[in-house]
This record gives sequence, structure tokens and C-alpha cells, in this order.
Amino acid sequence: MSTLVALNSRAHQTVAINPRQVEAQAGQLHMVPVVLSEFLKLSLQYPIVVTKNQDTGRFTCVTLFGLEKGENLFFSGGTWDALYLPLQIRRQPFFLGKSDTENEKFVICIDTSHASIEQQNGERLFDINGSETDYLTGIKNILAELFEGENLTQLFINELLSLNLLQRLRLQIALEDGNAVQVEGLYSINEPNLDKLTSEQLFTLQKKSYLHPIYTMITSIGHIYGLVDKKNRRAEKPNQK
Amino acid sequence: MNTPIKSIVIVGGGTAGWITAGRIAAKYNANSNISVTLIESPTINIIGVGEGTWPTMRNTLIKMGISETDFMRACDATFKQGAKFAKWVDGTPNDFYYHPLMLPQGFNKVDLPPHWQANFSHHSFSDAVCFQEQICEKGLAPKLITTPEYASIANYAYHLDAVKFAEFLKNHCVKNLAVRHVLADVTGVISKENGDIAAVTTQNLGDISGDLFVDCTGFSSLLLGKHLQVPFLDKSDILFIDTAVAVQLPYERDDSPIASHTISTAQEAGWIWDIGLTRRRGIGYVYSSRHTNHEQAEDTLRKYAGPAIGKLEVRKIPISSGHRKLFWKNNCVAVGLSAGFLEPLEASAIVLVELSAEMIAEQLPACREVMDITAKRFNETFLYRWDRIIDFLKLHYILSKRSDNTFWTDNRDPETIPESLQELMQLWRFRSPKNCDFSSNNEVFPAASYQYVLYGMGFKLDTAYLDYSRFAADAALATEQINLNASAIKNALSKLPTNRELIEKIHEYGLAKI
Repeated sequence: MSTLVALNSRAHQTVAINPRQVEAQAGQLHMVPVVLSEFLKLSLQYPIVVTKNQDTGRFTCVTLFGLEKGENLFFSGGTWDALYLPLQIRRQPFFLGKSDTENEKFVICIDTSHASIEQQNGERLFDINGSETDYLTGIKNILAELFEGENLTQLFINELLSLNLLQRLRLQIALEDGNAVQVEGLYSINEPNLDKLTSEQLFTLQKKSYLHPIYTMITSIGHIYGLVDKKNRRAEKPNQK
Repeated sequence: MNTPIKSIVIVGGGTAGWITAGRIAAKYNANSNISVTLIESPTINIIGVGEGTWPTMRNTLIKMGISETDFMRACDATFKQGAKFAKWVDGTPNDFYYHPLMLPQGFNKVDLPPHWQANFSHHSFSDAVCFQEQICEKGLAPKLITTPEYASIANYAYHLDAVKFAEFLKNHCVKNLAVRHVLADVTGVISKENGDIAAVTTQNLGDISGDLFVDCTGFSSLLLGKHLQVPFLDKSDILFIDTAVAVQLPYERDDSPIASHTISTAQEAGWIWDIGLTRRRGIGYVYSSRHTNHEQAEDTLRKYAGPAIGKLEVRKIPISSGHRKLFWKNNCVAVGLSAGFLEPLEASAIVLVELSAEMIAEQLPACREVMDITAKRFNETFLYRWDRIIDFLKLHYILSKRSDNTFWTDNRDPETIPESLQELMQLWRFRSPKNCDFSSNNEVFPAASYQYVLYGMGFKLDTAYLDYSRFAADAALATEQINLNASAIKNALSKLPTNRELIEKIHEYGLAKI
């Protein structure tokens, strides 16, 4: 259950966040939405793909931590074994809400029922004087990057769609223990169509700085092998889930 | 010297004119030798009542390069998954059956009807063997918002707003397919010595010449009927309906459910169609004026409509049931109402337009010298199709048990039943309709459609001559199929949204191409 309220320095003076708990809350997620600005960091370990929102049918960029719902192959024994955690994970339990008083303005909100909230240890949001801590500033930066990033990433996806640069990705995976996994509902860059682009179209992509994320997405697909390997290793040692 | 066919002139807008223009123009889009012109009257309205289609429409729109999202948004289109026939057998409240758009489960694996009749007849045939009936009964959509354009979970066609559809197609043809649109009244025809149409004369835009003329002038059949004098074959001795009274009704609320199928409800001297679009319904009573009168007919329609009809005026349209003796004569071919019309019991009018447009586009004669051969083949093809449609529509009447009006008993008089249908009915006394009963390349309705109507209307298979040698094995296979269908129903009901929900989402978010 969530309790979503606007953040203020008086009501939340003593609120502290346990970053380990924030990370742990994402321990059962097999995918998370991501934005363009984090593509390079994601590409170190995760596949970056596109999928459809089940309610609207609209496309969104996501990164994969596992091959099946609820499976996070980077999280075990209560910790993440990863080089980078996406913004969507690290922003918790905060989000941007619409201001009650001023139109077009956003305010930082917090889910006060979130498991990462403590009153003792952990990162404070406000110091003794009620001023913003570095931690809170960091959170604000993450939220800003996400807010701007969501729009930019949507524009990027629209461009991919208009140039027919997305195609369905269907994975048929044979695991070492004899089981098979079928992964559907994912999309990746259509490389043959990419190769067929006219110089005019390529120039447009270059000017919009879209060539980088396109190629980053292409190379990141290789990380699916990494996921399969982790899944096989995990099956060998079931106690470490 | 051969005379190449380069310019195609279509006379008449509406669904027939624009689908024909679009199909030909799309096919020859990159060919600068072929030009398509459509002449439309600024004073004569299109008939604007044809709102039911077949699944073929999806392919037609794809061939014209049209996005399903754009089409659905512009034409108030909704999904159609078949037809529900209510009160056709004995007129009691629970009398209904479905003719869905999908084959029975396991149709090609086992002959279902004898086993359904023996063991599952407490269940209607269409419900036992096809999951689509339940989807329709629950008002559910045939796919999800995440399903790509034109793809389906359950096979579907559309209900659409006829006037908006013509407007939408016109804009697409003119903007994207280089169709030349001329707004002018055609006043006459200039003929060649051999009887070909050289040009049509217009009210104030001069003469428009062409190599091939397509008559899409509706019931008036200006070119084929009036000018080339091709006679009209009256089929009212088989199908009695000769008038329609129609009205458009608002929904009770903005979020009222939208039916996912066409509803056809039998009445004393005909039947009422009921088609649901996004913001309104279209209903109409098609009847035989020999068996009722106009006041009674309008009364019947108003009773069906209920309070929603308020003080709305109904529109009366006379119908000549039948078709031209030929469809293509000299260098003129008729598509749509100019070729003929039958009551819309199975929404066959628009699919005939699509089939005609497809044949013209795909088999466009290279030159005048071979056109007569194409014309002959076109005529054979479509004469066969019209006969098959007449057979199939008549089938709905001969299986009825209604006797509340001579309309129904007269319909069962063998003098009014085509011999082709009578012969098949004889065979079907002893076995179910099979694909081999429909072996032409030009069939319109497959064996499965006949099964849905026969067994939906309670026709009993005489089991005296059935092949019992493999009955037990086949019975097991049939039971397995019926169980599979039951699972398919459960699965579909658990994941499909309502028709209304999906339509609203399509308007808001659109469907993706992939």
C-alpha cells in the first residue's frame, strides 16, 4: 500500500532513507523503464530493449534483469551484484507530483509507507536547520533527469517507429537443465532496415544524437547471453536465490 | 496496333467508387502510365447505409496503404465478429444463433455435426464449437491494445460509418494515391462505333475520356444499366424483401456497451439489422411490401428502437432484389449497387465491391484487344458469386419454422428455392456440408458458414446413413475439440477487454504497426 504525499521540511524533518532497502525493493523486478541518458551505463551489463505498456499499447525503453516475471538475476542474498542501478530504482521512494497550488509546476513527493523509510539510521533528507541534504539534492537530480529523460526517450522511440527501425524480438532459450524459456513482447533495433536508411535519414539521426543510443541498444542485446548464463548458474545452486 | 488501357474513369463516389479507385491506384502507384479519375456528382448523395463488412476489409485497407488506427478514428469504426440471428426459427425470446467469423474448432480434423448432435445438442452448435459466440455475448473485443494493427486474437471485420468512410477514402486516394477527383454531374455518354464508351459528358467540366469506365452510380446504374442497356435480373421471386426503413439511434450513455457483432432480428415480414458504431447505432427494417405495409413496418421499427428513436425521422429506401445480367460490357464494368443488390443479411454488398475492385486491379487488361476476354471471365466469376450469395441468404429462410405471416410460409415454397440450394439440402439430409461441396475458386461462403446456419437453426441430420465405422474414434476426437473450445472460451473471456474499452483506447493511444 502506498501513502503518497508532498515532501516538506517540517513534516519530514526526521525522515531517513535506507539506500540498501531502496535497492532491495527492486529485487523482484525483471525489467524497469529507462531513459536515454543512462544507456551507456546500462550497456555495461544489461540488455536494453523496447516493450509495450499493457494498458496503453505505447512503446517504452526498458532494461532486463531476468527472463521471466519476478526474476532478477543480479540480486541475491539481499544485495545487488551490479555496476549500475537504473534511475527508476534509485529514485524510490520519491516521485514528481503535480502541485496543488500552481499549475505546470511539479513538487517532490514521497511514499511514506515505503519499506526503505527509517527514523533512525540511513540518509536524512533535511538537516537540523531544515535544509536539504546532499542526499535529497541527489534525489532531485535523479528525478529531474528522469522527467526530462522520459520525454526525450519517447521522442527517440517515435523516430525509431517512423523509420521502421523496431522489430519484434522473440527469444527461444534452451537452458542447461533441460527447461526452455520463451520470451515474447520485446522489441529491438531492426538492423536490416537500419542498413537501408538513406543518407538523409542517417544525417537526421546523427543530428538528433540518436545514432549512439541505436548502436548501444544493438550491442546491449549480447547481454541476453549473460542473463542466460546467470540463469544457468543459478539453477546449479538453488540455495543462493 | 494494340490500344493500351491507360486511363480508368470511375463514375460515382461512395464505398464502391473509392474502394475501386483506391485498389487500382495503389496497385499502379509507381506506374505513371496508368491514371485513375473519379467523377462524383456534387448534387446526388451517396446512399450511405452500408455499414457492415467482412474480414476481407482488413486486407483491402492494407492494400490501399491505410493505417487501421487512422481508419477507425475517422470512420467511427468498431469491431464485428459475426452475426447474431434472433427469432429466425420460431420467434420465441431465446431463439438465437450465431454465424461467427471463425472456423469451428478442429474443423479440418473431424466432422463435428453428427457428434455434436449426438452428445452436445443441449449446447448451441456455434457455442459448442467456436469461442467467438461467448466473446460476442459478453461484448468483448477481438484483440488487445497491444495487438498490432490488423492482427487479431479472434478474427474480425468492421462496422463503419458509410458517409465518413467515403470521405476518408476520398482524402486518402486524392492525397496519397494520385487519384484525380472531379466534382461534376455526368450528363451523357459519347460512344465509339463498337459501342465502347469514349467519354462521359459533364454539366460544366467538359468531356472526360477514358479507356475503362467503372460504373459506381448506385441503383441508377447510369452506364451499364441505362446507357449500355444491360437488363436487370429480378430475384424477388426468391428473396422477397423490397423496402428498407432505416434510422440512426444515439446510445443511452457515452459509455454504453458496443455490440461486437451485427444483430439481425426476424420480424413478421422481414428482419431488422442493428449495427453499433462508436457514438451511435444504425438500425433498419428490411421487409416485403407484399406481406406488410409501410405504416406497420415503420411501427415495427419504432417498437424495436424503443424510446431512443424519439421523434427521429426514418428513411425509406426501395430495394430491387437482383443483379444485372452481365457486369462488364464493352469497356464498362459495374461495381456496387449499379451491379445489383440483395438484402444485407450477410453483409455481402461491400465484400462484392472489394472482390470486384480486386479483380479489376489484379487483372486489368493490358489493352482493349484482350478486354473482352477479361470481361467474360469477370462476368462468369461474379454471376457464380451472386448465385451462391442468393443460395446462402435463402438458406436462412427455408430453415425457419415461423408461420406468423405468409412471408415466412411463402419463403418455404419450393417454387421460390433455387435448384442449386435444393440439391445441396437433399445431400445434407444425410451428411454435413463439406468443403468439397464448394469447390469453385470463386466461392463466397465456405462449408463452415453453411454448418453454422443449418445447425444453428435446428436442422436435424438424419443419422440413418452415417458412416459408423469410425464413429467411436471420431466421437472422441470431436469431444476433444469441444473441450478445447471450452478452454479457449475461458482464456478469451479472462483476457479480452470490452469492445467499448478497446475502441476508446484506440482513439486515445492508437494501435502500433508492429
